[in-house]
Amino acid sequence: MTVPVRVLVVDDHPVWRDGVRSDLEAAGHAVVGEASDGREAIALARDCMPEVVLMDLKLPHVSGVEATRRIIDESPHVKVLVLSASAEEKDVFEAVKAGASGYLLKSSTSDELTSAVARVRAGEPVFTPSLAALVLDEFRRIAVEVPGEPALTPRENEVLKYVAKGYTYSEIGEKLFISTKTVQNHVQNILTKLQLRKRYELMRYALQRGLDQAP
Amino acid sequence: MSRVDARSGAAGGSAEARRTLMRGVLVFRWVALAWMVTIAVIDAGADEFRREALAWASIGVAGAWTVWLTVPARRWGRVTLAVDLGVCTWLVVVSGLVVFEGEVVGGRAFFASGYPFAAALSWGVHDGTKGGLAAGGVLGLALIIARPLNGMPVGELPATEIRDLTGGIVNYLVAGGAVGFVSILFVRSTEALHRATGELVRERERAARLAERESIARQIHDSVLQALSLINKKGHELARLDPIPGDGVAELGRIAEKQEQELRAVILRDPELPPTGRASLRAELETLAGELDTFEVTVSCVGPIWVDRNVAEELTAAVRQALANIAEHSRASRVSLFAEVEGGRILISVRDNGVGFVYDEAALKANGKAGILKSMKGRMEDLGGSMAINSSPGHGTEVEFAVPAHGKPEG
Repeated sequence: MTVPVRVLVVDDHPVWRDGVRSDLEAAGHAVVGEASDGREAIALARDCMPEVVLMDLKLPHVSGVEATRRIIDESPHVKVLVLSASAEEKDVFEAVKAGASGYLLKSSTSDELTSAVARVRAGEPVFTPSLAALVLDEFRRIAVEVPGEPALTPRENEVLKYVAKGYTYSEIGEKLFISTKTVQNHVQNILTKLQLRKRYELMRYALQRGLDQAP
Repeated sequence: MSRVDARSGAAGGSAEARRTLMRGVLVFRWVALAWMVTIAVIDAGADEFRREALAWASIGVAGAWTVWLTVPARRWGRVTLAVDLGVCTWLVVVSGLVVFEGEVVGGRAFFASGYPFAAALSWGVHDGTKGGLAAGGVLGLALIIARPLNGMPVGELPATEIRDLTGGIVNYLVAGGAVGFVSILFVRSTEALHRATGELVRERERAARLAERESIARQIHDSVLQALSLINKKGHELARLDPIPGDGVAELGRIAEKQEQELRAVILRDPELPPTGRASLRAELETLAGELDTFEVTVSCVGPIWVDRNVAEELTAAVRQALANIAEHSRASRVSLFAEVEGGRILISVRDNGVGFVYDEAALKANGKAGILKSMKGRMEDLGGSMAINSSPGHGTEVEFAVPAHGKPEG
């Protein structure tokens, strides 16, 4: 039995929103609002007091990434679950950097969607195996190209690998003899490191620009 | 070029840089050796030796050592460096033993005063400034020791001798330290050059891939338009029927799904177009996953992985067997395929959420059920790899295949 979650659905396609709404309501969740662009999403996140925002990334006016950033800035307790058709690495990392707690592909089943909403509400980061593989790849690239930047600990690497292999957090916990909560913490730390890494990149970029333009 | 190659490229650059410098030192060794023999012949002719046999024996050792070092593909390790320093230190020390007492080194050319520099230079090349200084220091110490052996206690040396001695020590230190410093700079710049070249190659490959992607995207557009008009036509036909047949609607769903997958593969991800003769492991696994509809199969790969075509065939054949086994026994609803390259090995994990089993090879064999297992294992062993099974009742099954990333190791 899942605990009912207050959800704000953000997508620019009305047909898609209808589908998601009926899936969520069938699972006992409450859809407290629907937004068709980023601006509306930010306003409704304020007014409807959702617990979870289901966010599409490709939105008119204000992008999903920007809306995610603004919503989390204003109400840090609100969880954003990104639901996008795009498997592009860039989108994944932008969404995570903006503070999203999870990422699901639109091709996910309705069961996966409704359970992901409940899990994100409970503070669990939602990782798909392919996202885990992308993150692993990103960190290995960092390790080779820029030694000294935030890297994964051996344990985090292990956890991420199990996620990429399709293990659930509780299965990983059993494998490594740690609690499910600890596994979630590891995944959360990995997300935080990824965000940190993005900040490093920006800083380096700014420094280079600054040096180039120095008189 | 993959990232792994680029990394070993930079490391290969530093090794290559050191080898180049070592070849330079080797030339110096031969020149110094020739000089050593020449001076020794002159000295022997003038009866300048008190232990001539020892002189020639020492020169012989230095000669043999130089010849040994000249053999191609000698690797400079700790042992080689230690032996080299030993030989060179001996040459310095022996100078105190072979000439008449009080004659040593000082103002005249001596046969062993050139060659020992080679050790300071080699240590500098191999270990940088610190290495060069350390070897130079040892040689300097040998210079001091040679004095009492020549009947001149260090405490009683005249001012000219002390000047010469100090000069000799400083020469060794400076030679080792300077070469060490130059070696560090040279190695660094060579590494940077290798890295830059690797990046350039990657950039070019990327550009080529993008061009290829555009051309594929154009072809796909046609197939998407076709699929859309098919769905449009069939949809209207179905709408006219009463009752609307479920399998007809499901058929529409399948057409849409297939197009969705193709589009996603082509447009949303960097296409992984493998080099000639090789295959993208991700593409192979995705094809496999698409063949099945008994359970959902997800594919995740860490970066692009290229494998030789024959290796790809064996790997996919083994994965296909594993999937067939899952379909037959596991009652799984979901299977994850995961692939990565780590520690020079390609790893593929096939993981299901089914009933699992107690993995007991002997019991399986006894029941005549080890056939598929043996076949999968055999495929891996033919590639120089291995297979591992991890399962327990109620916890699903993970089969892991591992093969060397660069073909079967020789021997």
